[in-house]
Amino acid sequence: MLVWSRSGRLVIWVIFALIFGVLFLAPLAVILLSSLADQWNGVLPNGLTIEHYGDVARGAAWNAVKASLVTGFAASALALVSGAWAALSLRLQGPALQRLLGLLFFIPSAVPSVSVGLGLLVAFSHPPLLLNGTIAIVMIAHFVLISAFTFGNVSAGLARLSPDFEQVASSLGARPAYRLWHVTLPLLAPYLVAAFGLSFALSMGELGATVMVYPPGWVTLPVSIFSLTDRGDIFAGAALTMILVAATLVLLLGLERITKRATGA
Amino acid sequence: MSEALAIGAPTARKREPGRLWIVPPAALLALLFFYPLALIVRQAFLDDSGVANVAEIVRVLHSRFFLNALVNTVTISVAATAGCLIVGLVLALILAFVPFPGSGFIARLIDTFIALPTFLVTLAFTFLYGSAGMLNSGLMEAFSLPLPPVDFLYSTWGVVLAEVTVYTPFILRPLLAAFSLVDRGQIEAASVLGARPFRIVRQVILPAAVPALIAGGSLCLLLTVNEFGIVLFIGAKGVITLPLLIYGKAIQESAYQVACIIAVVNIALSLGLFGLYRFAAGRLGV
Amino acid sequence: MSAAAFTGPSVVDIDAAKVRGAGSNVHFDKVSVAYGTHVVLHPLTLDIAPGEILAMIGPSGSGKTTALRAVAGFVRPASGRIRIGATDVTDLPPYERGLGMVVQNYALFPHMRVEDNVAFGLRAQGADKALIGERVKDALATVGMATFARRYPRELSGGQQQRVAIARALAVRPRVLLLDEPLSALDAQIRRNMVEEIARLHRSLPGLTILYVTHDQTEALTLADKIAIMRDGRVCSHGPTAELYRRPPNRFTAEFLGRANLLPVTVAEAAGSKGFATATHGDAVLTGAGRGEKAGDKSLLCIRPQHLSLTADNEHTNRIVGTLREVHWQGELTHLVLDVDGTPVRVSATKLPVALPEPGTKVPLFFAPADTSLLPEDAGV
Repeated sequence: MLVWSRSGRLVIWVIFALIFGVLFLAPLAVILLSSLADQWNGVLPNGLTIEHYGDVARGAAWNAVKASLVTGFAASALALVSGAWAALSLRLQGPALQRLLGLLFFIPSAVPSVSVGLGLLVAFSHPPLLLNGTIAIVMIAHFVLISAFTFGNVSAGLARLSPDFEQVASSLGARPAYRLWHVTLPLLAPYLVAAFGLSFALSMGELGATVMVYPPGWVTLPVSIFSLTDRGDIFAGAALTMILVAATLVLLLGLERITKRATGA
Repeated sequence: MSEALAIGAPTARKREPGRLWIVPPAALLALLFFYPLALIVRQAFLDDSGVANVAEIVRVLHSRFFLNALVNTVTISVAATAGCLIVGLVLALILAFVPFPGSGFIARLIDTFIALPTFLVTLAFTFLYGSAGMLNSGLMEAFSLPLPPVDFLYSTWGVVLAEVTVYTPFILRPLLAAFSLVDRGQIEAASVLGARPFRIVRQVILPAAVPALIAGGSLCLLLTVNEFGIVLFIGAKGVITLPLLIYGKAIQESAYQVACIIAVVNIALSLGLFGLYRFAAGRLGV
Repeated sequence: MSAAAFTGPSVVDIDAAKVRGAGSNVHFDKVSVAYGTHVVLHPLTLDIAPGEILAMIGPSGSGKTTALRAVAGFVRPASGRIRIGATDVTDLPPYERGLGMVVQNYALFPHMRVEDNVAFGLRAQGADKALIGERVKDALATVGMATFARRYPRELSGGQQQRVAIARALAVRPRVLLLDEPLSALDAQIRRNMVEEIARLHRSLPGLTILYVTHDQTEALTLADKIAIMRDGRVCSHGPTAELYRRPPNRFTAEFLGRANLLPVTVAEAAGSKGFATATHGDAVLTGAGRGEKAGDKSLLCIRPQHLSLTADNEHTNRIVGTLREVHWQGELTHLVLDVDGTPVRVSATKLPVALPEPGTKVPLFFAPADTSLLPEDAGV
């Protein structure tokens, strides 16, 4: 509607295709291609193979997938409960405290992940809170980093929720717990699912805090990808990256489908 | 879990058990986040015996590696944010006002980049622009060159380009939201009155985009200052940023106090940018 | 649902409703509400009798919704007490007040079917399953939505959603029904039908006390037994609907409740035993219903547009002359605007003389003293 001439629009679309192709499409395509590349000495791979996937599947890949999924699930579930809890109970505070606490719950998203990892190392390397070297410290690091996103998502959902629903429920005799369970939470469900999906995706790709705190034997996907490429095994790294991308996308699409079905949209 | 009365009640109730519900999540966050944060600050200022160690702080803050990393961090962050703003604005303008079949799908596709790990792009760039990558092999074959001609990947600019790819969606999202609110009738009216596209963009569309640009831009500054994966994966010797320096000092050199001193600077910078973002977003209602 | 399991009275059971009505008056005792230092409701004292429909009307920000929310328990009074029946509910949470509430946007729970929406209150109060089934059926039948029980709210039109919202409020057998601008989200045509339906509903539930908040005077005039007109956080007038319309106590009420022509007059002779005073407007000597004015007082003579006539008869003994300015034909009614010594005067007529006078000509207007009322001249409350 802005550019009316056909040629003008074509020029603009070519510009768009160029930017989109170079910045977004090429990287995805090339990762996919390289994960399938037999050998790559020229412009294009010499041949295609699924050997890299076989290699990573025989190697530590399965453990990495498991570590990432378990960490992501545990951290996201905890973040969901804590974030929703915080957002819901924040409404009961006075306006000044609400603003202050709202800000504090957001701050973890602003602090560099490496520093979060460093802080956990400094704080939990001595008894009685000796967590260094455990799986728990990885989950805690992920939880801290994603907690602000779940809190933010649920808060946004609550802000969009008309107070009428809860007020009508109360006037009909619903006590707070009944109202929360039968009205507020079901109405928030789409935001809760979205928050969980985003947290899970962020956790799956988390690197900065994980490299600081991960114990041997709990190597997440991003860390294994880094150690593969650092050793020069970039094709295997690409294959593992594709597994990570696929796992993330399947998860997000699955959650989106669940939300759609649940809300009947 | 809540006291029903608190909803919309203008004056505080006398007994409010509901107020205590905030304690568990707040305590959890305090223990797992603010307590470690406080310990970083403590370790930065005190040595192992608990005495203030000003000399070490001064030494680190004047050291070459620290200043170098600080300059790198700021340069990369500012350049990448500028790039994101330009690319994001161009893409958003086209997606919103010169749409093509499938542009909605493309917008969603770009949006999913937010959920993907940041180092993916760096890895891809290695295949594209690395010394043995597609671009260099192609050029070397075509012009029979002895050495790879394109060599920007292992420099600051490689990091900047990767960050532009990764963080443009963070600009695109609020921009598309802002553009969807621009009155189409206004644009059509301006076109009927004979205004050229550039004039419409400047006078009608850009003013509507300013809040989104400022909020998105300050968010980009924050995220690029904190970026770790991209810089680590490029692994160029000369490109060390603050997060990478903290990782190096703590994990590779076990110099925890140095790492903590740098972390305090990095966190202060991040929180400053976070404040800017909140201020901009709050002020402009994004 | 078996008849044996049916323990409670039906929603349409009039006798039961009367019993319930006995404890269902609402009493505001010097209730004030403030947000910080901003007072939105000045001390309000008001009674709503059992079974009465009280319409609170007023412009936005006049405090009417605040008063309703104070009854519901969503707003805590800064001072004063609220009683429902014999119970002081001021300190009770909303869920212990036994009310029904319907809001502007219906607020039907989108994730529940119509029947589950209607059953919500009873389930929340832990009612017996058989009773719930019976009550839901009755409530939906009362609003004519029985066949929609299995639908979701998004599958219903606005008017249907509003009926379900009313059924949901009635299913809990509330002592008092609070209606907060319940029709303002509907189209004009559906709104008219719904007003009549609510009136019908109330006739079948005569014991149900209703507090009806609206900014629409037609809804208030159609439905209410009494009207309270709110302005700037205070009650500006309160009384039986017809009385308030016929004899508005002040200018704001006269102009807010229907249209009013207000002619400045000087009282010539105070009201006699029949309640009529004599007043002058320029040369014209007029008779109007007085309220204690003394001779020489400045006053306003209020006369509704439909009570002005272009023809004289035995009752229309008052006569003023104005210059015809505009004629607006609207089908059912024709509106004439005249200028009477600088005061615009509006006439609404269903019948007009065949030959209408031309704009610019002088036209005599006639009206009956019984249709008038003298008001204090100040514009305030």
